[in-house]
Amino acid sequence: MSASVRLPRFFGKKRGHRRTGSQAWGSFGEAIFYSLLVAAGLVFGGLLLTGSVGVGADEAGVQWAGWWLWIFTALIPGALLAFGCSGLIRTVRGWGKSEERRAAAETIIELLEPADQGAESRPDLPGIPTCDDLVDSPGTILRYRLPIESPESWRLLGIGLFAALWNAVLALFAVTAGLDLLGGRVELVLLAVLVPFLVVGVGGIAFFVRRLFLTTAVGTTQLEISDHPLLPGASYDVLLAQGGAGTFTSIDLTLETEESATFRQGTDTRTERVVVRRELMKQWRDVLISPGVRFEAHVTLSVPDDAMHSFISEHNAVRWRIVVHGRPDHRAEFVRAFPLVVHPAPVGMSADRSQPDAIPEGRS
Amino acid sequence: MTHGEEGEGVSRPGVPRITVLFDRPERSYAPHDVMTVRHEVDGVAAASVVAFERSVVWYTEGKGEEDLGVHHFERIEGEGGTSDSIPTGSMSLRLPGSPLSYEGIIVKIRWCVRVRLFFEGGRDFVSEHVFELGAVPPARGAVERLA
Repeated sequence: MSASVRLPRFFGKKRGHRRTGSQAWGSFGEAIFYSLLVAAGLVFGGLLLTGSVGVGADEAGVQWAGWWLWIFTALIPGALLAFGCSGLIRTVRGWGKSEERRAAAETIIELLEPADQGAESRPDLPGIPTCDDLVDSPGTILRYRLPIESPESWRLLGIGLFAALWNAVLALFAVTAGLDLLGGRVELVLLAVLVPFLVVGVGGIAFFVRRLFLTTAVGTTQLEISDHPLLPGASYDVLLAQGGAGTFTSIDLTLETEESATFRQGTDTRTERVVVRRELMKQWRDVLISPGVRFEAHVTLSVPDDAMHSFISEHNAVRWRIVVHGRPDHRAEFVRAFPLVVHPAPVGMSADRSQPDAIPEGRS
Repeated sequence: MTHGEEGEGVSRPGVPRITVLFDRPERSYAPHDVMTVRHEVDGVAAASVVAFERSVVWYTEGKGEEDLGVHHFERIEGEGGTSDSIPTGSMSLRLPGSPLSYEGIIVKIRWCVRVRLFFEGGRDFVSEHVFELGAVPPARGAVERLA
């Protein structure tokens, strides 16, 4: 029996999770695309250098603009050249190589240059995020103080930015309208536009101030833990400390696991997040907090035996966190998350650990 | 040893048939275990194969873009397409401690042995044989979808 070698196909089929399309044709298409970008960059750059596009000079060739305009104009061909050349180099380096071979080469580079990896994952624990930034703050009672992830803070920042930008635009319009009025002209259209802009601008500021008051009035939430990273089947002491003043209808402490997947949809990049495990660790009802005296409570956190460990890759992640959900009386409820890192349980490491890591047995 | 999955389209003439035999019938390994696999290639003329790759990789499936991690990679190139280019052999290696196989709701992690043949003219043929690393049970379901 002999293998028939057919011409590569432009359009492949999806078989299960794999596509049968030719990688060579894909790389060829990429190479053409990046070559076109390089060619366009060279043409535009050439026209700019020879003065054919007339930037910075009049018909008689007299310069009418400074060096900054030349640099600004050179950005377009420069970007085309940079994008095209880097793409071409990447395509040529990956030409005819399988995705495993390319990924293996990247892995070797990462091992040789650990500083370039950032805080993504440790070489000895592939796919597991590091927890260096989670254990750099000592607790007052327990070993570590966990950093906070507060959706409210980001929302508040977003509202603040919106209010600031909107009112900056409004101020520009208002100054223009004011100058017109001083000059004796009345632009009715501009004034008509200004009124709804003013309503939105004032409303944005009022909304921001209200959210700021509500967020800061609740008081800080602090969480400390006896050890980190966590292991499946192990238990840890957790300290919750809630500041502020007033009565809370309830304070919930939950342990959550979240899956996160980033994907492309058309030209957009989207991230979907799903909570796949949520366990109530403790709930307190009718909590009265006096000013200057924070509410403190110790809770035991038990990581389930069969828990999936924390995982992170370029587009996918499994994350663990403790979530504090507070419902203060007469104020907006709040959610504050404290990320955790869970490692795999240390099983199967005893007898076999004496053996080497890779033992190719040869070919026949 | 047990027979692994075979390459796609095994019944068609001219298509390679790649068999991977795992040392554990259930194809389930604990982290840091030593895994031994044997691979056999049939149905292809030795002269037409110019290179052969065998690797142990993990990859993600699900809603997100696919991510790939390589634990072990080996490429064997034959000179002029001799029968040595189509090795029937075995490899034994220690598996890493992570990431463990996982059947989540929108994130899934799979481990597999991949055998890839490269033919004259640039075409290649890949055969994938999935195994389990660890014993994490599947996620029970979505509790809440976040915005």
